[in-house]
Amino acid sequence: MKAKTHFAFFDEGSKKEIRRATLKAVAIPGYQVPFASREMPIARGWGTGGLQLTLSLIGKTDVLKVIDQGSDESVNAVSIKKLVQDTTGVQLTERTEEADIIQSRHRIPESELTKNQILVLQVPLPEPLRPIEAREYKTKRMHAEDDYSGAWLLLFEQIMKYGKTATTADHPVSVKDRYVMAPSPIPRFDNPKMDHSEALILLGAGREKKIYAVPPYTSVKSLAFDDYPFTVESFEGAHCHLCGTADVFMDELIDHDTGTTIYQCNDTAHCMDQLNKQEEVEVESIYV
Amino acid sequence: MAIDQVHDLQYVYRKLLHSMSRPGTISSIKEPMIRMDYQITCNESLLLSALALLDGEVTFHILSDERPELIEKITEYTSAKYAPIQEADFIIVFHDDHEEAVQRAMKQCKVGSLIDPQQSSTWIIETSILQNEGNVLLKGPGIQSEMALQTGFSSTLWQARNERTKEFPMGFDMIFVDHESQIACVPRTTEVAQKEVG
Repeated sequence: MKAKTHFAFFDEGSKKEIRRATLKAVAIPGYQVPFASREMPIARGWGTGGLQLTLSLIGKTDVLKVIDQGSDESVNAVSIKKLVQDTTGVQLTERTEEADIIQSRHRIPESELTKNQILVLQVPLPEPLRPIEAREYKTKRMHAEDDYSGAWLLLFEQIMKYGKTATTADHPVSVKDRYVMAPSPIPRFDNPKMDHSEALILLGAGREKKIYAVPPYTSVKSLAFDDYPFTVESFEGAHCHLCGTADVFMDELIDHDTGTTIYQCNDTAHCMDQLNKQEEVEVESIYV
Repeated sequence: MAIDQVHDLQYVYRKLLHSMSRPGTISSIKEPMIRMDYQITCNESLLLSALALLDGEVTFHILSDERPELIEKITEYTSAKYAPIQEADFIIVFHDDHEEAVQRAMKQCKVGSLIDPQQSSTWIIETSILQNEGNVLLKGPGIQSEMALQTGFSSTLWQARNERTKEFPMGFDMIFVDHESQIACVPRTTEVAQKEVG
């Protein structure tokens, strides 16, 4: 027997609980609000936090976009998209500007988000102080006391060891000069996009049972020292081998024929958009 | 016809979330209001906002002593339990409640602790007016520069609220609902200042 699932998978009680936690998260920017993370049909640590947020938000008229490291078509994105669509019947899109809710694993889209969009980020490890303190009991107190010396020490040790802060992703940020927050494993390139964002950003960690948020127009500063300022990944001189765009986050690939390094836009929707625009111009120039 | 517990409440929640993440922004929940047919002696938009958030896991408090039948109705509709002001997760205020009572309640309500600031109360407040003008200015996360908001709250009440939210992250969050089914929110992060009357 196959039972018909309820709209958006969850029972209404579960949605309400997540919704209440989300409102609290918005009211206390950067603070990790505990919630009763539900058992989901995908494994914990594979986007269940983001998925639960999306399911608590989504309505019949919403348009959903799901990306996994910039790609609309990779496994994690596709299975999450399918689950949401099967249980809600909402329209899906790959175009960033058409989406009302964008669930993302580890990237913030290249196109600027608008005030009517909500960005949902999947978070594996929400606690920026976890590497220095294993006990939740302690880290909660550190947050309460505004004691972030541990987070600074981590960066300091990296500078001592490597001569620079060596965070590849998930570089800690300070939200509204109060809470230090893990921005989820987005590249450093995306950290500045969180600062005074037009869109509401919600972050969900299903395995760790935490929801937190960055409201629009909120200051988000990446932790850095005066003499070692925060820097983003540099793609100087590089451009996408498909669409030619520069100044975006790129994947480094090896061209198998020539053995040289080539670059490609990490955000596939953005790349496609650029290609379509170029084609339009080309077509227009032919048929005058 | 009754409201749709799934889709109408989702609609209201999204409006609440929009207004909570953009303090002072007025959203309308009129669309599902036409389906409200609860036999209840209070502002139906207020009830609708409460329905979107309350269930058996939370407690609520009604400030006014004159509405015992409402307590019963809200418990029946949502399964939320009635609790004294010091313990309530949601506090419901009507526009005819006495200012002193509201002020007293602000001193007594839950504001969470430094360790668990989320264990605070959320206020759902009925107001006779809700406009983006007037001499109360909002600033803070979610607001681009500043925003004017008129809620019918007196300067004494805003002062009492500011007093209770000054120790961020502790504080309480407010949802204002008017008779035109409009909602606006003022979370604890919002700095509320009153323009000098010149």
